Amino acid sequence: MSKGLKVEKEKCIGCQQCMLICSATHAGKFNPSESRINVEDKYPEPAEYKINYCIQCDEHPCVDACPAEAIVLNEGLGIYVVDKEKCTACGACVEACPYEGCWLDPAGTYSIKCDLCGGAPQCIEICPRNVIKR
Amino acid sequence: MADGYTGKVLRVDLTNEKIATEPLNREWAKRFIGGKGLGARYLFEELKPGVDPLSPDNILMIWTGPLVGTMVPLTSRYAVVTKSPQTGTFLDSYAGGYFGPELKYSGFDGVIIKGKASKPVYLWINDGKAEIRDAKNLWGKDNFKTEELIRKETGQKLARVASTGPAGEKLSLIAGVTSDLTRNAGRGGGGAVFGSKNLKAVACRGTLGVDVPNIDELVKMSKEMFLKDVVENPDHAGSITDGTPIIVNMSQDAAILPTRDWSSGTFEGSEGINSDAIKTRVLVRRKACMGCGIACGSWSKVRKGKFKGASTEGPEYETIGLSGSNCGIDNIEAVVKFSEECDKLGLDTMSAGSVVAFAMDLYERKILTKKDTGGLDLKFGNEDAFCKMPEIMAKRQHIGDILADGTKRAAKKIGKGSERFLVECKGSEYPAYDPRGSIGMALAYATSDRGADHNRAWPVAQDAYGSGDPWNPEGKAAICVEDNTRTSVKWSFIFCDFYAVNFKNMARYYTAVTGVQADEDYLRSIGKRVWNLTRAFNAREGFTRKDDNLPERMEKEPLPTGKTAGKAVRRADFEKMLSEYYSLWKWDDQGRPTKKGLEDVGLSDIAKKLPYLK
Repeated sequence: MSKGLKVEKEKCIGCQQCMLICSATHAGKFNPSESRINVEDKYPEPAEYKINYCIQCDEHPCVDACPAEAIVLNEGLGIYVVDKEKCTACGACVEACPYEGCWLDPAGTYSIKCDLCGGAPQCIEICPRNVIKR
Repeated sequence: MADGYTGKVLRVDLTNEKIATEPLNREWAKRFIGGKGLGARYLFEELKPGVDPLSPDNILMIWTGPLVGTMVPLTSRYAVVTKSPQTGTFLDSYAGGYFGPELKYSGFDGVIIKGKASKPVYLWINDGKAEIRDAKNLWGKDNFKTEELIRKETGQKLARVASTGPAGEKLSLIAGVTSDLTRNAGRGGGGAVFGSKNLKAVACRGTLGVDVPNIDELVKMSKEMFLKDVVENPDHAGSITDGTPIIVNMSQDAAILPTRDWSSGTFEGSEGINSDAIKTRVLVRRKACMGCGIACGSWSKVRKGKFKGASTEGPEYETIGLSGSNCGIDNIEAVVKFSEECDKLGLDTMSAGSVVAFAMDLYERKILTKKDTGGLDLKFGNEDAFCKMPEIMAKRQHIGDILADGTKRAAKKIGKGSERFLVECKGSEYPAYDPRGSIGMALAYATSDRGADHNRAWPVAQDAYGSGDPWNPEGKAAICVEDNTRTSVKWSFIFCDFYAVNFKNMARYYTAVTGVQADEDYLRSIGKRVWNLTRAFNAREGFTRKDDNLPERMEKEPLPTGKTAGKAVRRADFEKMLSEYYSLWKWDDQGRPTKKGLEDVGLSDIAKKLPYLK
């Protein structure tokens, strides 16, 4: 059982408030490109939202791929998070992830992925349709 | 400065292929906020009076506001601001979706475009930089294809594109600006201004974000308001469950649903085009704009039959009223198809529906014949002919060439007494609320700053849809004045119409984002300033009382059925409301702002530039 967010993307309305609150929380500004969850509108076909985020999979290929050992276990939450200081932005984790769950920040300085806001994911609190759960 | 604004304006000279970045005029930003207000201030300053709107001398602007791109709910909009080629007035036309925030993230509060490119181009904006790019491969393409090609060419799959379709290229005066496929700054002919400048699109992609003074405070407040004031606000219930199509039944009950070119206020086929028809027959999912918890948009797709596969966001009430019942169309699938065609080709569904209804009316009256229509049997209710009309207009084929500029110009070209059937003000076709069952709307349409419009004042909410008397002119001027003031503020921020946000909360948001101390009175004074400014713009262009008119049919042709049976608008009532309205705004008897009135709202510098005040 993965410990990451659970998303029912069929219920998503595409408001991207999750991305705004995520970037505000992690980057101190409103900037969807710095969000750890990404909602992309796919219209006219297939009329859906593609939602990407780290599902905290048990296999964690990102951890194995990281040459800098920058993806570390947060023991309290039992999930792997990026240590910004150690990360060299090489992109190996991005390549390794089969779920497109992590990516580099827009400046290309480090890899970003969901850290569950340290235990109280803000995206869950803001979502107007209860799309996101834990 | 972390105050919601990017602090930068992009200036583009298409004639000389020059691009420059300049600082935002902070003093104006403080006095006019953004969107409508700020756009109006820049346009008043920079546009010479009397300019042909389709000449290189017209100025095309795109504006956002300080809240756009933040978490403040329902503020994802941008404004297209220019002089309207359809009405000759000030034009501010808005679209939601994602383009507005993206422009902010790209580093700009607004874009000011002048001149005319020597060949088709588009403007590409990316993280504080911009370039004019060749649009040879885009010219002639529809809006969907244009977005796809620009994303491919720039390599930015998240690029947002505001473009004009083939209709705008052909200078159709009812051509709008389309972004995110289905979001349209539809009214007033902004698309034709794009076309006149050889400008196919403005596209942007940005990762710069928006800064505010205290982000933790703003997040806390937005979270609370997003749930309490948006998602759980009882005023939004209908918007959440149905969106604007909920109004179809309300208008049918009130007998103000435009039907067969304004010949009736009730439509026997309304159940085929109402909200239930959408929900049961074509709805795929509900769709929001950025930052919105309402999701009024209905993404629809026709599942079977001859229009199978056609899809659109909506159709919205105005589209349904003006292109559905007003064309005698009782099949929501045909309206979806029509709407999709308009989105692709870049036509305003309101004006397009109205002008098709007008043509059908003239055809039924034998003023137009099959010879004029290229063989189309343009009877009310003929779905096939109806669905062909957008393309015929966008490509200016036979009758489409005449209709592509809206009803007023079409009537002038067709002649034969067709002017008698016009239902418009200043060249802008009436929205879908018949004033013969909501007299206040006659005043709202007449006094809107961009020609007949429902988003500057909406008294119908209080009479035909509320408990007020729809035929009593008393108090209607005051409603319009209040609505004008409130919407001027809302469109300056730029809030969505569907957020029933009050002044107090607007002030809270404004202060939280910009740091400017504001309260209800402060914002009201800005609203009055902005509404006087757009009125001054139009007065400078020569508009007077005679232009704030009532179509003859609204006076002389009573409606036949339902609650509005036998009802029309009395000319004396209309003139009374108009005089009262001018007097409440402290304008002269010609409806023009006075020197004193302008000084009172902080526009003495504007007063000095109005020839009629010299």
